[in-house]
Amino acid sequence: MTRVTIPVGPQHPLLKEPLSLRLIAEGERVVEATMRLGYVHRGIERLAEERSYVQNLHLLERVCGICSHVHTTTYCQGVEALLDLEVPPRGLMLRTLLCELERIHSHLLWLGVLAENIGFSTVFMYAWRDREIVLDIMENLSGGRIAHAVNVIGGVRIDLDSDQIDAIRRSLDELHGQVDDLVNVVEHEQTLKARTQGVGGASLEQIRRHCAVGPVARAAGLDRDLRRDAPYAAYDRLSFEVVTESGGDVWSATRVRVRETVESLSLCQQILDDLPPGEVAVRASRRVPEGQVVARAEAPRGEVIYYIRSDGSDSPARIKIRTPTLPALSMVRERLRDINIADVPAVISGIDLCVACADR
Amino acid sequence: MRELLSVLVTLFIFPGVAFLVACALLFEWIDRRTIARLQARVGPPWFQPLADLVKLLSKESILPRQADRPICTALPVVSLAAVLTAALYIPVGGRVVYGFEGDLIVVLFLLSLPALFYFLAGWVSVGIYSIIGGSRSVLQYFSYEVPFLMALSAPAILTGSWSISDIITQQAESAWIVLAQPVGFLLAIVGLIGKLKRVPFDIPKAKSEVVGGPLTEFSGRKLALWRLVVDIQTVAGIFLLVNMFLGGGDLTLLQGSAPLGLARAVTFSIKALGMLLTLSVTSVLYARLRIDQLANLGWRILAPLGLLQLAATILMGIG
Repeated sequence: MTRVTIPVGPQHPLLKEPLSLRLIAEGERVVEATMRLGYVHRGIERLAEERSYVQNLHLLERVCGICSHVHTTTYCQGVEALLDLEVPPRGLMLRTLLCELERIHSHLLWLGVLAENIGFSTVFMYAWRDREIVLDIMENLSGGRIAHAVNVIGGVRIDLDSDQIDAIRRSLDELHGQVDDLVNVVEHEQTLKARTQGVGGASLEQIRRHCAVGPVARAAGLDRDLRRDAPYAAYDRLSFEVVTESGGDVWSATRVRVRETVESLSLCQQILDDLPPGEVAVRASRRVPEGQVVARAEAPRGEVIYYIRSDGSDSPARIKIRTPTLPALSMVRERLRDINIADVPAVISGIDLCVACADR
Repeated sequence: MRELLSVLVTLFIFPGVAFLVACALLFEWIDRRTIARLQARVGPPWFQPLADLVKLLSKESILPRQADRPICTALPVVSLAAVLTAALYIPVGGRVVYGFEGDLIVVLFLLSLPALFYFLAGWVSVGIYSIIGGSRSVLQYFSYEVPFLMALSAPAILTGSWSISDIITQQAESAWIVLAQPVGFLLAIVGLIGKLKRVPFDIPKAKSEVVGGPLTEFSGRKLALWRLVVDIQTVAGIFLLVNMFLGGGDLTLLQGSAPLGLARAVTFSIKALGMLLTLSVTSVLYARLRIDQLANLGWRILAPLGLLQLAATILMGIG
């Protein structure tokens, strides 16, 4: 059979971000795939060395357009560790609240993208409509829908009064009902199952070999979640379940993400019920003592790692960002091999790539 | 002179070309609006399909250098001619431009021509997405067309006539064929969805896989005509199904006096709108199938059901 090369990207309806895939297909089967990256490389790590620690908050929030808050959270944790700062409990709780809202927002966005890519536009419309509720809450909290600028070194810059808490609680209740509907659709809709079950399966061995993290790894049965395994922010004070599945296919990844969304909703409720009084931030000095630190946090897509080295001045000597998409990208070629062309959108969406994160 | 004028009016105004195009645009709007409302969106205003058409008609038409320009230009025109001709033989509320014994076969043939031209469009416009989309559309054609043809020949066998007008008259005298052949009716709807490449059978033009399918390289006037082809095909398909299974303009489900004039037109419109809404609702309910899943559905489920329906019809005829 003749081989044809199908270009997918850098501009293609399948991709929301620039990434270039070359699929080599025989008939309707993909036999080989190659990939080119770097279309959204902005040199953020280098830029970070030229800016002060405070300015970097603004810069690092823009590594990613979806999980913007978790990037500054990880960065702040690192810098606070270098400064030996103790963030007040209320500040930590609010930080965690934003992290969880962001997870809901990211997972709903992802569900919409998956649905759109497998030709299920109704679920796409509903998921993105419901996501608006989260965006509204975040806007209410911080003034920003995507970039919140909530984190500062030493805490957060926002505080909640009881009116805001009530308003958020009402919105979350509304969202809960709608997320339940989406869970119902994901669990029971036959065509959605037909397009995702058994598609793009990754074995536990494969996951370990590529060091994959987050929902992709949990979908294959790797029970790992930093929020429980190495609690940061206020996660040690909250109770939640780490969702795992065993299939490793797109269907398992979908179930993991929708159930995580439900867990995150419950986490948000817990935070609002149990918000400790007090300050939200402490003052931090502009200069950071010499040293190096590794900070980690569980982003919606998995573990994000920041390595920060300080030379004692007011700007970092080196910042290295390792995003969860990096190991996921290394799996893409393997997972695209020997599948149907029609399954490519499902597999690519199932991994939930964030190209901007990986390119930095 | 008067006769010539009347022929021209039937051919070009009602129920001819002008009426069909107006219906096509109206149906497209109702369809888009319904889908939008069901998906919690607002949807386009009523003139949007017309505006889209005018805009596309006035835009520059670009083709790749290696594409076969004359054929690419001819294909949408010929397809449009085929669906318009097919529509002329389909009675609308009792009015028909031209009918004869055997017109059902001509209509079915003309309605399936665009599928072939659609494939050719992908093939001659040389883009990789076009070629994959084109080959998919042929695979899809074989999956839906067989059950569709079986479903639509069953009423003809039941009534013993291959003239659409005759089949309508006989339904008015006895009962709507959908009562005798519910399975056939469902098969015809599924087949029509496949023919129109609507969700969940929009496989040849799945945008996350093959961008625009066979029409990826088409733009401007050519694309506008292709879109009009699909719209008129929708109208023709719906009218055909209403005539074949739902008794056309017949008001009563069982035997009754056939209504005349306005009542007949209104009944026909309501049925056609009902069919359109069925298509719209179906297309919000499902995710797109894969081509192998469609082939399975077509050959393992739909085709045997079609055969059963045919066998039952023939047995009824003998009994």
